[in-house]
Amino acid sequence: MFKELDPLLHSELRLAVMSILLSVAEADFVYIRETTKATAGNLSVQIDKLSEAGYVEVERGFLGKRTRTVCKITPKGVEAFNNYVEALKGYLNIN
Amino acid sequence: MEEKPLNEKESLELITRMIKNTHQKLEEGNGIPFLVWGYTSIIVSILVWYQLKITQDYLWNLLWFLIPLIGFPIQMLLQRKRERGIKTYLEKIIKYVWTVIGVAGFVVSMGAMFYWKIPILFIIIVLMATGTAITGLIIQFKPIIISGFVSILLSFGCLIFSHLYSILVFALVFFLMMVIPGHILNFKNRKRHV
Repeated sequence: MFKELDPLLHSELRLAVMSILLSVAEADFVYIRETTKATAGNLSVQIDKLSEAGYVEVERGFLGKRTRTVCKITPKGVEAFNNYVEALKGYLNIN
Repeated sequence: MEEKPLNEKESLELITRMIKNTHQKLEEGNGIPFLVWGYTSIIVSILVWYQLKITQDYLWNLLWFLIPLIGFPIQMLLQRKRERGIKTYLEKIIKYVWTVIGVAGFVVSMGAMFYWKIPILFIIIVLMATGTAITGLIIQFKPIIISGFVSILLSFGCLIFSHLYSILVFALVFFLMMVIPGHILNFKNRKRHV
C-alpha cells in the first residue's frame, strides 16, 4: 500500500523551497528566488501557503535600508518533508 | 519554476538538485573575521605599547577599547558585503560561541581596567584562543585548530614577561592565532574557486 504524498509538498516550487530550507538554518527570499528561478509573486504565494501550514516560519526585517524576508523550516516542516521522502521511496521502490 | 505537480522521479531529482546547489554555496569558508580582529588587535597593541613606553602614563591603556570600536564596524560592513542570503547551523553556533567569548572578554576587561589588578592580557588570549580552537573544530580546519591550541599555551608568555613586553607577546600571539590562519583560510577558498 502506497502512502499518500503530501499535496502541499508535491508541487515543484514548494518542494524546491522546502529542499533549500532543509539544508540551512535560514535563507532569505532573494536567495530562494534566484535558486528556484521563480517569479517573486509566485514564490511569495507559495511561501505563504507553506507558512499557513506551519511548515516554514517567515520573518520580515531590515538589512541596512533594504527590507529582508527570511525563511526557516519548522520542526513540523521537517517532519512533513521526512514523511514525503519516505512516501516517495515507497513509490520508487527504494528502501 | 512554477507551481506544477511532479511525478515521483522528478520530485526526487528536484530535492537532490536543490540540496546540491545550496551545499555548493555553503562551502565558501571565511577568514575575514580572523583578519579583522587579528590585525586590529595587533595595531592597537603596538600603539598602546609605544605610548606606554614613551609616556609611562597608565591612561593610554584606554586605547585598548579601540579594538572593539574598530573591529565591530569593519566586521559588520564586510559581512554585509559578503551576504549570501543563507545562514547555516554551523555559522549560528560559531556566532553564539564568539558572542559568549566577546561578552566575557569585555566584562573581564572592564574589571581589569577599573577595579582589580588581574593579568588581563593572559585572560584575553586564553578566551580568544579557546574560541579559535572551537571554531577550528566546528569548521574542521586544521590551521585554526592548531593555532587555537598553540595560543592557549603561548598565553603564559603574558605572565612570564613584564607588563610592557607582555603587550608585544599579546600582539605576536594574535598574529599566530588569527592573522596566519585567516590568510590560509582565504587562500584555500580562492584556490577552490579558480
